[in-house]
Amino acid sequence: MRVLDALNHIAEYDAPDLAYRWFCGSKMCGSCAIRMNGREVLACWEAAVPDMTIEPLRNLPVIRDLVVDRTPYERRVVAFEPWLERSAPYLGFPEPLLHKDIKNASKALDCISCMACYSACPVIRLGDLTDFAGPAPLVQLGQTALDPRNDPAKVRRALERSGIFNCVSCYKCEEVCPAGIPIVSQVIEPLKAKAAELLPAMATHPRVFRSIVASRGRIDPGALVLHIQGWRALTRIPRLFRMLFRGKINPLRTLVGTRTGAANAAKRVLSRNDAPT
Amino acid sequence: MELVQLESATCTGARELRAIDSIGFYTLNVRILALAEKQQLPLLTICNTCTLNVLDAHAAFVSDNALARDVNARLSVEGLSYSGRTRISHFLWMLYEDIGEDELRRRVVQPLAGLTVAAFYGCHITRPPSRYGFVDSRNNIALEKLAVILGCEPIDYSGRTECCGFHTAAHDERISLKLSGQHIASAKANGAKTMVTPCPLCHTILDGFQREIEKDSGVDLNMPILHLPQLVGLALGMTPEELGVDQHIIPFPPLPSIKTLPA
Repeated sequence: MRVLDALNHIAEYDAPDLAYRWFCGSKMCGSCAIRMNGREVLACWEAAVPDMTIEPLRNLPVIRDLVVDRTPYERRVVAFEPWLERSAPYLGFPEPLLHKDIKNASKALDCISCMACYSACPVIRLGDLTDFAGPAPLVQLGQTALDPRNDPAKVRRALERSGIFNCVSCYKCEEVCPAGIPIVSQVIEPLKAKAAELLPAMATHPRVFRSIVASRGRIDPGALVLHIQGWRALTRIPRLFRMLFRGKINPLRTLVGTRTGAANAAKRVLSRNDAPT
Repeated sequence: MELVQLESATCTGARELRAIDSIGFYTLNVRILALAEKQQLPLLTICNTCTLNVLDAHAAFVSDNALARDVNARLSVEGLSYSGRTRISHFLWMLYEDIGEDELRRRVVQPLAGLTVAAFYGCHITRPPSRYGFVDSRNNIALEKLAVILGCEPIDYSGRTECCGFHTAAHDERISLKLSGQHIASAKANGAKTMVTPCPLCHTILDGFQREIEKDSGVDLNMPILHLPQLVGLALGMTPEELGVDQHIIPFPPLPSIKTLPA
């Protein structure tokens, strides 16, 4: 028996006013996502167990019982202009499109918009703390933004308002995705790469990180914080002293740690296309 | 078991390199695998993110011939080449797969009786789900089982397999302060005297940022955080000084059950 069968039974015999959504019953429409025992699942695809706590999805307003309001998600997606728009004229059929150029967008197209990932995302859970769009809207964006035929100016506009570098890479979204989309590695990371290319200022942190690894072979926390936070690093002085006192950071290494075997190797490997900071 | 340090091994690039320079990411990680392969040794890491990075690079290398050729061409400059044979492990998996529970139990000389421990797994040792075969990362109980072997008492709390927020902390600390603040508070509310993590990045936030977390949440936490090797080492009779336990921002209080601890 599926969770959906249990819900149908409850609605039939115990609580005729129970509000819940479902349509296809076969993992296609994405309307029946709920939380069962603390985990996002599709009611139509999850086996019922004797002890079940059923809750509505998190991170979206609850309309009634298990029905959530998808408006915050839809607003985000609409603002991304999620369609394909060419900047160059159409070359005619058949259009040259290599598998490797479209493989990430094609993964994103498996999305059934069930909101399981949106409910599981810990950064979205923090509300207005950041401008992070969240996994589900970013997957929608990826469907067109990761398509090489799309107009880069439009992709740029969308990424500008995506807050994408607030993704903590926790893979909670991938864990619950019923469509099995590698959301972090094949959608969010390629989108971050796009952002680094189209909006370099947005990607200061990864670019600084890369240049430190390229010159030192390893990450020096002092150098990283100084380069990324600049004068703002001054507000971290109490922590700096605590860490110095406990021997957690070594300013000497920050000054001279560029002549090791690891540094030489990293210089060789990352010297090509080194992104300036 | 003998550990051989790969002297010229580099950073695996955390999350940043893989996001903006995938070929650089693959080359750097495959290079580490190639260094281990050259010495015919399995690769051990003590970091969740490093583990996932080398695993991902290995998976991409063995499944994409064009990528493998490209990466090996780049590595040939220093006479290295990878053929895909390095076994990758993490300290936690090594304890189970190479040492074994029975052997570990036999070696415990100072059971950490009375120490209630909140296990903090972090993300990249249990997710993405396909890498390690957990249906749900929360069905991982490796750390709790280990805690029992070491004589301490694991506690259950909401943060076990949650994210510490490390990977956004360098440019904006707020996410990590909020996320980790919830986890430490939950561990404390459920009776933990210490937390243990198999990931040094999680440790950086949970310990190194804890004073800022306290300031942010207005709650006094004072929760000592141990690296996994430190918890194991204490039970195996090593001193806190040998293990560097005294280097943490939040001091680890002396345990009555451990004789070698300073008064």
